[in-house]
Amino acid sequence: MKVSDITRRAVKNLRQAKGRTILTSLAIGVGAFTLTLSLALGQGMRDYTDTALKSNMNPNAIYVAKDKQVVSFTNGGPSGALKEYDPQSTDMFGMNVKTLGQDDIAKLEKVADVERIDPYYTIQAEYVTFEGFDKKYRSETNIYDPSVLVSTAAGTLPALNQQIGDHEAVIPESYVESLGKKPEEMIGKKITLHVVKTGKQPSDEEVQAALMTGGRDAVESLYGAEERNFEVTVRAVSRKSSTSFIASSAIFVSKTKAAEITKFMTSGTDQFEKYVQATAIVKDGASVDDVNAALKDTGYHTMTAEEMQSAMFQMVNVIQAIIVGFGLLALIASVFGIVNTMYISVLERTSQIGLMKALGMSRRSVAKMFRYEAGWIGFLGALIGVGLAYLAGLALNPWLADMMNLDDGIVLLSYVWWQIAILVAFLIIVAIVSGWLPSRKAAKLDPIEALRTE
Amino acid sequence: MITLQNVTKVYGKKDHTFVALDDVSLTIEEGTSVAIVGKSGSGKSTLMHVISGLDRASNGTIQIDGEELTTMKPRAIDRFRAHKMSFIFQSFYIQGNESCYDNVSLPLEIADVPRGDRRERVKAALEAVELGDKIHSRARDLSGGQKQRLAIARAIVNQPKILFADEPTGNLDSTTGEVIENLLFSYQRDNNATLIVVTHDDDLASKCNRQIHIKDGKILAQKGGK
Repeated sequence: MKVSDITRRAVKNLRQAKGRTILTSLAIGVGAFTLTLSLALGQGMRDYTDTALKSNMNPNAIYVAKDKQVVSFTNGGPSGALKEYDPQSTDMFGMNVKTLGQDDIAKLEKVADVERIDPYYTIQAEYVTFEGFDKKYRSETNIYDPSVLVSTAAGTLPALNQQIGDHEAVIPESYVESLGKKPEEMIGKKITLHVVKTGKQPSDEEVQAALMTGGRDAVESLYGAEERNFEVTVRAVSRKSSTSFIASSAIFVSKTKAAEITKFMTSGTDQFEKYVQATAIVKDGASVDDVNAALKDTGYHTMTAEEMQSAMFQMVNVIQAIIVGFGLLALIASVFGIVNTMYISVLERTSQIGLMKALGMSRRSVAKMFRYEAGWIGFLGALIGVGLAYLAGLALNPWLADMMNLDDGIVLLSYVWWQIAILVAFLIIVAIVSGWLPSRKAAKLDPIEALRTE
Repeated sequence: MITLQNVTKVYGKKDHTFVALDDVSLTIEEGTSVAIVGKSGSGKSTLMHVISGLDRASNGTIQIDGEELTTMKPRAIDRFRAHKMSFIFQSFYIQGNESCYDNVSLPLEIADVPRGDRRERVKAALEAVELGDKIHSRARDLSGGQKQRLAIARAIVNQPKILFADEPTGNLDSTTGEVIENLLFSYQRDNNATLIVVTHDDDLASKCNRQIHIKDGKILAQKGGK
């Protein structure tokens, strides 16, 4: 019997039992729905992570630190173990970390194919003021990264890999909103960074005594506090973005300005010319991996954009695997449904099978017919599940994007046609495999027994 | 020509054996109608099953048109049956939920008849049993007599050389039974086919060229031309 004829008969047989067919496919549909959603979610999260990393990290940059905690994703938290005192260390987020000194920077600069080493300046302005506003605000100050172009709401940015001017700054759109202004109105306005330098660390008793005698001023002078205002002019306002984290909540100044402020803040203290982290920029055309290996060999801890990406993808994959697990459970349950349905079908059609075999239909053809029926049930279930999942994506994506503040056309549920095609094929195979035993039963049926009427 | 030599069929194993056919030898010429007559349990159905290859003989040889059936592989027997034989049963075994067309086209599909040839042959077979107007009707909507006529259309559509009929009129009243009988005999005559009828109806048996009486798996008596 021809495959086309067997297929046609299989479809006709399924149509005879519409209710049963649809109910059985619905069971597979549940699995297909979950699996499609998990594929789409995993893809969406990977796309999102990818976009986020690309808009935040220079692929030619390698983060270098002396302390593993700084550049490590997985070993983030402070460990409980007692640590030896190290004069070359500083506190970061409550963690005591080893820092890079000038000698380290010099060593790093000597590594082959390293274009330059950018130390990471941690600038802590006491407060900032904006021209035309009396209020004092708190804001982080970061170095403008010329290797990543962000989109602007107003003003212009220099070309890629060009630093902004030494007295210029880029501020995020969210700041402008909190000030109640339009982005264009802020261009050319001055920002004053009020930086306080803390000198030595007096003891509690000294502070108490100073407070008693000379009040607040006395305490400040005890700390050796020195204040200075740094002025910058707004050059551009960066657009809000769900993927560009760095552009969202800090005032960006040039590297020179950052170095100047840091120098002022740390000169004379034990923090002078000590950096938690630095960025090694790899020469264009050189292999990032090679430089990374070389840096690691020199004894530093590093992380490249690619390593960061794979670390984040790993987390996404774990989440996806969990959802896939649920989908597979649903699928296993539906397998029993198919087996049951096909067995009933074989029993119901005993005489039909007997007649077909009497008319010379081979065992193989009979088995094929039942396997195809199971395959069609799988296909139908896959269509139902995938279709519903797609509709769910259409309905949920705008809502999710809104809730999670996604923009830039990023969707959290991203459907890739070849993934879905593979899933559908997989479900058909699962269904055919489930139909295996019932189809064997049908093929083995003795036509004489099947056609006995007495 | 069908030739059986010393055919024995034993069911069961060891102590619980039952001899359904006991050393049966017989020859059926091409183009004749033969009635196998006997009571229930006499072995007449088993004889039909063995000749048609639905069942295997325990001993002996069966030759159809020079081909040895007992040594053939199952697939070869299936193909042989699909091309040379057909069946009509007491309880019709038509597929009620399918159209008359699909019922009749099944043997053609099994015999791998090209799609283009099927429609004409199905139509001709249905017209031969006067069901030409029912080609698209659902089989379950037919009356009992019409159903058996449909079964005959299905049996003759592939123009088999051997037609087996197992109590073909057993479920029908005498008038419709007669219509069915006439259809079977006219097919047999017009196509020089061999018709083997299994029945306990003496009336139907007497209309055949030959009658073979079976009892306890043995040929009791034979009447009619060789």
